[in-house]
Amino acid sequence: MSEFLKTENLSVGYDGRALIRDVCLRVQRGKIVTLIGPNGSGKSTILKTIVGQLSKVSGTVLLEEKDMAQMRQNETARRMAILMTQRVHPELMTCFDVVSTGRYPYTGALGLLSREDKSIVMEAMALVNSEDLADRPFDAISDGQRQRILLARALCQQPEIIVLDEPTSYLDIRYKLELLTILKTMVREKNLAVLMSLHELELAERVSDTVVCVSGDRIDRMGSPKEIFSSDYIAKLYHMEPGKYDPCFDTLEYVPKV
Amino acid sequence: MEPKKRRILGFALLILLVLVFLLWNLHAGSVSISAGEIRQILLGRGQDSTKWNIIRSIRLPRLLSALILGGALSVSGYLLQTFFHNPIAGPFVLGISSGAKLTVSVTMIFLLSRGLVSSSATLILSAFLGAMLSMGFVLLISQKVKQMSLLVVCGVMIGYICSALTDFLVTFADDSNIVNLHNWSVGSFSGRTWTDVRAMAIVCALGILLSFLLSKPIRAYQMGEVYAQNMGVNLKAFRAALILLSSILSACVTAFAGPISFVGIAVPHLMKSLFKTAEPMILIPASFLGGGAFCLMCDLIARTAFAPTEVSISSVTAVFGAPVVIYMMVRRKAARE
Repeated sequence: MSEFLKTENLSVGYDGRALIRDVCLRVQRGKIVTLIGPNGSGKSTILKTIVGQLSKVSGTVLLEEKDMAQMRQNETARRMAILMTQRVHPELMTCFDVVSTGRYPYTGALGLLSREDKSIVMEAMALVNSEDLADRPFDAISDGQRQRILLARALCQQPEIIVLDEPTSYLDIRYKLELLTILKTMVREKNLAVLMSLHELELAERVSDTVVCVSGDRIDRMGSPKEIFSSDYIAKLYHMEPGKYDPCFDTLEYVPKV
Repeated sequence: MEPKKRRILGFALLILLVLVFLLWNLHAGSVSISAGEIRQILLGRGQDSTKWNIIRSIRLPRLLSALILGGALSVSGYLLQTFFHNPIAGPFVLGISSGAKLTVSVTMIFLLSRGLVSSSATLILSAFLGAMLSMGFVLLISQKVKQMSLLVVCGVMIGYICSALTDFLVTFADDSNIVNLHNWSVGSFSGRTWTDVRAMAIVCALGILLSFLLSKPIRAYQMGEVYAQNMGVNLKAFRAALILLSSILSACVTAFAGPISFVGIAVPHLMKSLFKTAEPMILIPASFLGGGAFCLMCDLIARTAFAPTEVSISSVTAVFGAPVVIYMMVRRKAARE
């Protein structure tokens, strides 16, 4: 199977200074690629660069062998949707309004929604089990519902790839699982490519097809969840020592290196 | 209430308010003119009477100025609120009106001292220059200060500096026409000619039309910069367009009526509460109508409440507008805690 999204020698960072060099990611349709790594290791920086929120330091991001930098904004908008960590506070918008902003790349000059657009919006809301939220104000629903609505927003953009930056932050375990289950189903049904970052290793292990380990200045390792999680490697990535007795928690567990 | 019904009723209410205040403004004043007489005069009869003159050359241009400029000011406020993602932004509190006021008075005094009367176009241009200067300062500060309340404090300070400089100029300017200048510098819709009305109508109509055409990116931008960019909004161009349009609109207001306080914040907020949405396709026309009605009402009060003495329009708009703004700030604070 060919790669849908590919980065070649991508260097990312701030103000033209590279923090992480030679990022070579491959994302296929129908697969989930997850970035893991300690806080501040640069997962978000990589994702922000790929979605164009940060300008890249060097290298290329390719969508189906085409350089994204050469593509028109409207074309990338139709192919790539996002769900980022930052909370959004849109003023006086209902959940329907929020989801419908995903139709932006398809609507005309004034952004009016056609009947078809509206049914696509409702369909996307149904996919995330949130049709009943349509008329509720977006700022009056729970964090878990909000992430679901934002996922519906991304879906109704009818993208080929979704990039998600820690979509499960702020959520309790039930919503975390629910969101990732919906995502996993979407990937299978719509043959989506997914690139995301996750904090929770056990979730990353469960949902990912490929796990990418980011460690501050480089992509340290890449592989199937099995390869990554079945060794002592994770301890190294998170700067912990494996298999020691931790008196604080009374367990034989990874303990932080002091 | 169903959104569609709310919209129809909302617009009907706004149009009704505009019409009521238009007629009331035609009727009331030092000479009271009856509805029948107004009708006759508007139909073009009785051309030689004093009342014809009062209506045609004093009241009509004045109330049209109040309608157009009040509307433009509200739209300008709405655009700034979109830009800063904050409902407490407005041309007056950010010091943009006062910046325009300073450059306009410099221009007026300079031209008057050479025995020239400033044309409408010169006034608008110089006001635009001043508005852009203050706007530039505000944007520079906003790079450093992320908190809106601090930005507003800075804006108010810029406003005070500009006002102080203007007062200084007005006090020491040496011309008999200075009386007019003084009237204008505290805010007033009086003394506008038909030429002025034509100029402001053209500039404001263009500005508001262009803003309306930005409805789609404004909607996306309300979701925040990150999502807007992902949806294909060219952020740089869009932000520049917002700044330019809001500056042109508030500059045009200042050029003809001086600085008018709080309309730019209070009216869009009232419209959002009335329509229960911040959608640009609703809010831009609604803000225009609401601002127009609001300023017509305030001007009516300014003219008639203490007749024959006239109160500055800014004092009246402040009395009605400032409490709305205070209420908003308190409620926002409460909502966050």
